[in-house]
Amino acid sequence: MTSQKTMEQRKRRRAAFDYSLFGIVLILMAFGLVMLYSTSSYNGQVKFADPAYYLKKQAFATALGVVAMVVVSRIDYRIWERYTYLAYGISLVLSTAVLFFGDEYNGSKRWLSLGPLSFQPAEFAKLAVILLLARTVTLRVKKMGKISQMFRVILVVLPIVGLVGTNNLSTAIIILGIGVILIFVASPKYLQFISMGALGVGFIAVFLSVESYRLERLAIWRNPEAYEKGYQTMQGLYAIGSGGMFGVGLGNSMQKLGFVPEAQNDMIFSIICEEWGLMGALCLLFLFLILIWRLLVVAQNVQDLFGSLVAVGIMGHILIQVILNVAVVTNTIPNTGITLPFISYGGTSVLFLLSEMGLALSVSREMKKEP
Amino acid sequence: MLVVFLACVFMLFVLAGRLVYLMLVESDYYQELADDLHERERSIKAARGRIIDSSGTVLATNRTVCTISVIHSQIKEPERVIEVLCKELGLSEETVRKRVEKRSSIERIKTNVEKEIGDRIRAYELEGVKVDEDFKRYYPYGSLASKVLGFTGSDNQGIIGLEVVYDEYLQGSNGTILTLTDARGVEIEGAPEERVEPVAGNDLYVSLDYNIQLYAQQAALKALEEKQATYVSILVMNPQNGEIYANVNVPEFNLNDPFALPATVDVSNLSEKEIQDLRNQMWRNPSVNDTSEPGSTFKVITAAAGLEKGVVTPEDTFSCPGFRVVDDRRIRCHKVGGHGSETFVQGVMNSCNPVFIDVGQRIGAEDFYSYFQQFGLMSKTGIDIPGEAGTIMHQLDNIGPVELATMSFGQSFQITPVQLATTISSIINGGKRVTPHFGVEIRNSDGELLRRLSYETREGIVSEETSATMRYMLEQVVAEGGGKKASIEGYRIGGKTATSQTLPRGTNKYISSFVGFAPAEDPQVLALCIIHNPQGIYYGGTIAAPVIRGLFENILPYLGIEQEKVLDENENKVD
Repeated sequence: MTSQKTMEQRKRRRAAFDYSLFGIVLILMAFGLVMLYSTSSYNGQVKFADPAYYLKKQAFATALGVVAMVVVSRIDYRIWERYTYLAYGISLVLSTAVLFFGDEYNGSKRWLSLGPLSFQPAEFAKLAVILLLARTVTLRVKKMGKISQMFRVILVVLPIVGLVGTNNLSTAIIILGIGVILIFVASPKYLQFISMGALGVGFIAVFLSVESYRLERLAIWRNPEAYEKGYQTMQGLYAIGSGGMFGVGLGNSMQKLGFVPEAQNDMIFSIICEEWGLMGALCLLFLFLILIWRLLVVAQNVQDLFGSLVAVGIMGHILIQVILNVAVVTNTIPNTGITLPFISYGGTSVLFLLSEMGLALSVSREMKKEP
Repeated sequence: MLVVFLACVFMLFVLAGRLVYLMLVESDYYQELADDLHERERSIKAARGRIIDSSGTVLATNRTVCTISVIHSQIKEPERVIEVLCKELGLSEETVRKRVEKRSSIERIKTNVEKEIGDRIRAYELEGVKVDEDFKRYYPYGSLASKVLGFTGSDNQGIIGLEVVYDEYLQGSNGTILTLTDARGVEIEGAPEERVEPVAGNDLYVSLDYNIQLYAQQAALKALEEKQATYVSILVMNPQNGEIYANVNVPEFNLNDPFALPATVDVSNLSEKEIQDLRNQMWRNPSVNDTSEPGSTFKVITAAAGLEKGVVTPEDTFSCPGFRVVDDRRIRCHKVGGHGSETFVQGVMNSCNPVFIDVGQRIGAEDFYSYFQQFGLMSKTGIDIPGEAGTIMHQLDNIGPVELATMSFGQSFQITPVQLATTISSIINGGKRVTPHFGVEIRNSDGELLRRLSYETREGIVSEETSATMRYMLEQVVAEGGGKKASIEGYRIGGKTATSQTLPRGTNKYISSFVGFAPAEDPQVLALCIIHNPQGIYYGGTIAAPVIRGLFENILPYLGIEQEKVLDENENKVD
């Protein structure tokens, strides 16, 4: 009851930091750097005459991320509850700023530059949304069964979804997805979700038919060989198919030599398939599954609702990106640009992913003993 | 919460299933497509088979040449590369600089570079400069028999002549090197190469004889120069089996530089098409590709037809007043005063037109036409040179008395020289229609016989008796008649002269020709000389016959045909 007692309890629980979660993150991170070097050395050599060009940038961001992860894991996550609106506000401002001052790359304005550093506000927005929703849902948890409340929660994230969605549809989908998962976890009423799902499908149908280029994407998805724009997809499939059971070996990919465009980005999983084969690809998926499972364990075993929802949000973030990325690379769904967490090139992404992991680790300290 | 996780597990399983499908079931399909994308095929040229004459002299072979190219991404010292390539290849700096600085995977600087220069460039060890060795067709004797041998294009394919006809044997099959490249087409160092070795082409052995060809060429060039003729053709063949020993058509062209027109042609204001037309003209083999009126040499065929039908005997007498009136038209004999009364043998010796008009009338249009067919004149000879011209002949229905008369002394229709030589061969060889040809054998590069080429012969063109009579009469032509200038003491030579006009008539251009064979009683060699548009004296007996005599003087001993004392016997027979 006394605050001293809780403090004591907390101190004791600090020993219960989830090492398996931490270990998995480190393994994924290290593997990510190895694969990043493998896939980017050719592009680095061709474009910047430095095979380690991308590796250096990524390693810097990763180092920064590891520091952030360790620091955040040592801070009580409840502190962030106070700053959720601030964080959300900052993410809105940054996402607006990027529309006006952003650097354009491959036709999308996604980066804000500050001297030699560049920053992708959309990555920060994901973290901000996780915190914001966790808080919003915690405050209304008893009323969450009402459909009107569900829509109100969704309404809270719509501004950022709209802002990010103007030039980064995929991230908007991820943010929306995280929101849906959080609401669902707080109030698992299937009927409502089925109706919401139906609404979502209808929305997507309208969305697709409004702009013809999105319909074209569907056509490319169904028959990528017949379209010039299916080139990237086909190259990815060539890489995957070339892998076979055990792959061609680390560093021996042919497809990364300019055939798969920017192999270190969204399509990196196809090169992993080529170099490590089916076995390697399945192992990687299994690693992600363990990561997601550890996050689930954290979420399930934390008494505090806010902490639990933060863990669920992070889990949702990872699982949506992994599933969508692998689905896109294997041409299971139409092409959209989604990176593979911890593996794909992207400094902001890895920095905030590691911060999220720090947050999850911090939450994991609150775990009661596993049954 | 667990529901979300289980949904996630389920979706990951679906994706894993998709991966299994792509990486195991569809693996071969994508692997193959990917290989196609990564592999670059570099072809290794196969050595083309040689062309070798009957004495073993190599007339066409290969020479190693180099192709110099640069790989932009590997060049370290562009200025030095430019400097060296300019110096060694004799190209302008501008040309070389443009190619060296072009951002392409591989840029060809120059092909067909001499091996020595290629070796020198290789010795500089410049990075990014590639020297590839390659074969180039090489003709050791330059223009010798150019219109017979023909030449090849850059893709190792025959363009004219024997190179075309025997392409399938000569070509061989190219090898390939499969290398891996990145998306820019740059070869990946250290990647394993797949190599398919090239198979060299087979050698073609021909009946041409270098020495005879050379003698004939000298004789033809001499006549060309002396008579300021447009061209001179000589065809030397074995009348017994159709093997051609020599076929000269001067002016020849340089096989090692076949696209260069003669220096006398000013190409500066000609269009590309006009230049190409001139080249095509230069490459023509007039012995095979062009037809003309044969003129009096054709009287051999008329005489053979008359003898064969039995409408004339050597002893028959004719009278020549210097012309014959046929259908109100007066057809003149070349001797204005006429030959008076003469036997058929004398008619042949005098090449008397009225005699042959009479013989033609005795044969009749229909039979004369069918003798044309029987002798093989209406079909091509089947010589192994591409583009043989067919006979241009009246329709049977259109052969009136005038046409019949002119046909009988070799006018109003056109045949190729090789057709004339072949038909005369079959008349004097006992009645065998032979196929004139060059190709004899195909052997591989080790000299192992792969194939003996066989040619059609048709027996019974004329009877042996007719053939013997023709040999006798034609021997008289050379011994005492119009072909006297072809006679060589100690040899029995048969022959017939001709002087015809080029078509269209009225340009005062003539074609002088002579066909001779030896030994007269058993012909082993037959030679036809055609002088096209000679200046000054243009009678075949005067200018073409001596060419063949000069040739025979050289080649008869060479062919092992013995001299004999036969003059006395001849004198007895003639008078």
